[in-house]
Amino acid sequence: MSGLSRLVVTLTLITLGAGLLLSLVESLTRAPIAEQRRLETLRALQTVLPPFDNNPDADSIALVIGQDKKGRDLERTFYRGRLNGVISGIAFTVVAADGYSGNISMMVGVDPAGTVSGLEILSSAETPGLGDKITRSEFKSQFKGKTLDGVDWRVRKDGGDFDQITGATISPRAVVKAVHQGLLFFRDHRRELLIDGGNQ
Amino acid sequence: MSLYQEFKRGLWKENAVFRLLLGLCPTLAVTTSAENGLGMGLATTFVLVGSNVVVSLLRRLIPSKVRIPAFIVIIASFVTVVQLCMEAYFYDLYKALGIFIPLIVVNCVILGRAEAFASKNSLLPSLVDGLGMGTGFTLALFVLGAVRELFGSGALLGYSVLGSSYQPFLLMILPPGAFIAMGLLLAAMNRFDARRR
Repeated sequence: MSGLSRLVVTLTLITLGAGLLLSLVESLTRAPIAEQRRLETLRALQTVLPPFDNNPDADSIALVIGQDKKGRDLERTFYRGRLNGVISGIAFTVVAADGYSGNISMMVGVDPAGTVSGLEILSSAETPGLGDKITRSEFKSQFKGKTLDGVDWRVRKDGGDFDQITGATISPRAVVKAVHQGLLFFRDHRRELLIDGGNQ
Repeated sequence: MSLYQEFKRGLWKENAVFRLLLGLCPTLAVTTSAENGLGMGLATTFVLVGSNVVVSLLRRLIPSKVRIPAFIVIIASFVTVVQLCMEAYFYDLYKALGIFIPLIVVNCVILGRAEAFASKNSLLPSLVDGLGMGTGFTLALFVLGAVRELFGSGALLGYSVLGSSYQPFLLMILPPGAFIAMGLLLAAMNRFDARRR
């Protein structure tokens, strides 16, 4: 074999072997990875929703919440928890893009009237020891029971009703704002989300 | 050199982190806790052993002109395997290490061992070299993570050890703490070596 063709053949064979190995591993891990992601969603749903006895991840509605820069629709999934067939609460994810570092993704649960039943931070990259205290239950629990009316949706430093964290105001501010916007969207689309909320 | 010495070399005398100062990017970035350091170290060890074995087996077949792309393909394959398996079976660790798993590909320790050792030695020494270097790397990351976690959050492997009255020295968990802890550990090792001589 001449010099160049030997290089080409060797490299092709190596990448071929690598491709075969990777497709094998991918097919083996595909189901467990999907299951892990589903479990993660379910765990979050369990903490934010009022008691339910159905599978909220199988009873979901996707609504268009806006357009991205290219004009494509952005969708948000609403998971509906039911107790004895009646909707007991609805959960949805909101993303705050104005945290201290990167996006803060969280799941908000509300009861059918729009009162917050729970908040869970799904992923965040806030500063360890400071901003990442938004993942502590002391911070998250203050959202429980809050409604749109009669609550000032700002942190205390800005004159609102939510405790910030000492040394880190940016992260709590971003969370409060994102939850507030999520609630506003919920109020505007409540009818569509609860449309088959009665007894099935 | 005996296999045992081959293994021992990576632990202290040629420790990737503290002696060769290789692979410092993941070292400094993920060692915010002992657990993260351990997880990253073990993932790197797996890739190191795997790539050393395959490179050593293929060393006569790979023409030297294309050896670097060939090594990188082999290393990247092992990294992807680690990433998929970790996401499937150790999801919490996967979320904690995040972006640094794919970056194992560009860890200089791995390409360095493939180029300097595995491509010139037979299977068994290459395997042992990968194990030794990987264990040394894991130990270094674990110690660095433990020191930073201890001072930065008063805990070790997630368990509080310094009590609730301890005021955490936050700087140690933030990026500057990585450099400070690394520098102090390096100084301690140098002093230990100088004494022994």
